[in-house]
Amino acid sequence: MEKKYNLVIGLTGNPNVGKSTLFNALTGAKQHVGNWPGKTIEKKQGEFTFQNKKIRVVDLPGSYSLTAYTEEETITSDFILEEKPDVVVQIIDAQNLERNLFMTIQLIELGASLVIALNMVNLAEKQGIVINTKELSTLLNVPIIPIDARKKQSFDDLFKAIFKKAKSKEKIKIKLTYGIEVNDELEKIKNFLKEKEVSIKPKELNWAALKLLENDYRIEQKLAKKPYYFGLKSLVERGIVHLNNVFNKDINAILANTRYGFIKGLGREVIKRKKLYQRRNFSDKIDYFLTNRFLGIPLFLIVVWLMFQTTFKFSAPLMNGIETLLTFLGRHMFSLLEKWQTPQWSTSLIIDGIIGGVGGVLVFIPIIGILFLIIALLEDSGYMARVAYIMDKLMHRIGLHGKAFIPLILGFGCNVPAIMATRTLETKKDRLLTILINPFMSCGARLPVYALFVAAFFSAYQGWIIFSLYALGIIVAIVMGLIFKKFFFKKLSSPFAIELPPYRWPTLKGLLIHVWERVWIFIKKAGTIILAFSIIIWFLASFPFGVDYGSQESLAGNIGKTISPAFKPLGFENWQSPIALIFGFVAKEVVVSTFGTLYGVDDIENETGTSSLSNALQKDFTPLSAYAFMVFILLYIPCMAVLAVIKRETNSWKWPLFVVFYTTVLAWMFAFIIYQGGTLLGLG
Amino acid sequence: MARQFINKNIKIMAKKSLIQFKQGEKVKIGYVTCGRNFRNRLCELGLFDGSDIEIIKNDEFGPIIVKIFDSKIALGRGEAAKIYGEKI
Repeated sequence: MEKKYNLVIGLTGNPNVGKSTLFNALTGAKQHVGNWPGKTIEKKQGEFTFQNKKIRVVDLPGSYSLTAYTEEETITSDFILEEKPDVVVQIIDAQNLERNLFMTIQLIELGASLVIALNMVNLAEKQGIVINTKELSTLLNVPIIPIDARKKQSFDDLFKAIFKKAKSKEKIKIKLTYGIEVNDELEKIKNFLKEKEVSIKPKELNWAALKLLENDYRIEQKLAKKPYYFGLKSLVERGIVHLNNVFNKDINAILANTRYGFIKGLGREVIKRKKLYQRRNFSDKIDYFLTNRFLGIPLFLIVVWLMFQTTFKFSAPLMNGIETLLTFLGRHMFSLLEKWQTPQWSTSLIIDGIIGGVGGVLVFIPIIGILFLIIALLEDSGYMARVAYIMDKLMHRIGLHGKAFIPLILGFGCNVPAIMATRTLETKKDRLLTILINPFMSCGARLPVYALFVAAFFSAYQGWIIFSLYALGIIVAIVMGLIFKKFFFKKLSSPFAIELPPYRWPTLKGLLIHVWERVWIFIKKAGTIILAFSIIIWFLASFPFGVDYGSQESLAGNIGKTISPAFKPLGFENWQSPIALIFGFVAKEVVVSTFGTLYGVDDIENETGTSSLSNALQKDFTPLSAYAFMVFILLYIPCMAVLAVIKRETNSWKWPLFVVFYTTVLAWMFAFIIYQGGTLLGLG
Repeated sequence: MARQFINKNIKIMAKKSLIQFKQGEKVKIGYVTCGRNFRNRLCELGLFDGSDIEIIKNDEFGPIIVKIFDSKIALGRGEAAKIYGEKI
């Protein structure tokens, strides 16, 4: 892994300024995606060569400021202060220079060796905003290079500026002062730190003092265990109260006021605004419809409908292709293994366990790929922010962020990409909450199970019965959301404030890189966690060796028989159901084929086969217990692919295990209430 | 302490909350009473005591959209109700 780089640069900037576009343009396919150590935020790194020099680029999370109020926001300052990149490049959207400069000031205060890449200059000019780059560069003492993040040709000047910056050791100074009162307090804190703390370098003292005043999470965490912390804290608190009394404002408003005052001064000198500005621009025109109080939601529902149509239309043939390929592979493998005369158990392991298990999960790749292509399109174009806006009032009622709607809707297709899509949520809490309730969104794989049972028991009301299951899933999700919110996430709240960026065309390269990332994450999981689970399931189904795969005599069959009393109160005491439920853990639709195998009905696909499986089921189930069984299928343990992504997205085993436990308990409770309640009402 | 408390109340009373403004009105922010973290977040975006914003969209329900500098920001209705200001 040790590689020599001539230069390490960090890429930072506000959200929606074209940071990812620049990163993709710089590094192309040479990217590495992982997580920041100990955090659930994605860390993207890449490399490129310029004039025979190897450069490593680290993509820092987009943010509006360097002050951290949560643990997740400490990444950028951590990286700049601890890993000391040679150059930090801030990408600035020329259409919104002032707001972007707020972060620039903090980067300068932090002592980063900074180069600014000014993006979207032409778009700004179209709106009548002209920026005097040279003047701004002189005033800030930072090189400012206009670029077009979409065109690699425009990067040469940027590279030159970066190399020049990397060589110079000159410290950037700006003429920003917070006034006598604030400076007095800063001095006091600095003197205190100078005396007691040696680990903070003299040039970082000012930054540390400023962050202490701002109540920054990172510095608090760093100093919280020091013996002098109590004294320091009271000094800082006194300062804050004093300033509050003097200015009648809280400390962050005072600092923001000064910084923005400075920025406005800069703006007056370098920004020229022409008056054509008043005309409604392209984005406003689109927003008139898409965020309209009456049209907004119907238009969004049409978008969702199109999204599903496209995904399933295009992925179906691809999935069939993969299935055919896997069958072909399985068959050839089988004859090959027979030729080599490998022992029967190893043949079964490879065919039933690995190809059957991992293969069954790989079939999802087209769905994931296409769904993420569409999501990336919605996200990069700027529409996703509008969705959050129009859905917020509904989602707010159940304690979720407006943006959480997308992952929940996606869950009806497949919970795997849905859980992966929670990455668009900013706070850890929102993400976790959305992940935890997502499995109740009834995914496409559960549909074959419902179809089998409604055909056998509810032929007159098929549509309504299936609809009731979907509705139950939504209700359980909402109720559980409220419960989690009330008991687990009480302290943290994430108020709704979201930028609605101007609409723009996404780049094809950006979209494809995004899709490939998601697919690759999934393939890696299929090769590790899912492979392991497949082998375990295979072992359960075939041990002791010699019995029929997944039969009553196998370990799984014995487990099924042993635990079947637990399902008696739910109305299904046959030994086949628990086994089918166990196999349903691989993928929910496997429940159908398992019943097929266990009832000895060979070909369940054709017309007569379905009815003979129906006949077999009708002996063991009543309509009431069949409904209880379907409710159990709806609510119990999500499939292993879902657990694998929960593990990945939450970065711990705690949450997937919790999901296994609580969904199963819920499933049992609901099935119990339905069966016993129904029996009492005389529906049995 | 007491004087400060009274001052704050007078200030709040003299100003309207953001959800009471109409579309297109320009507002000078007077006082923000959201939780501290969110108030800090708004500061970063450029919304704090004394800054000027414009109301882009305010339906009778759901979040409102305001313009801060050159960007549109959607604010939850509950949060917007805790931000006070006066028309300019």
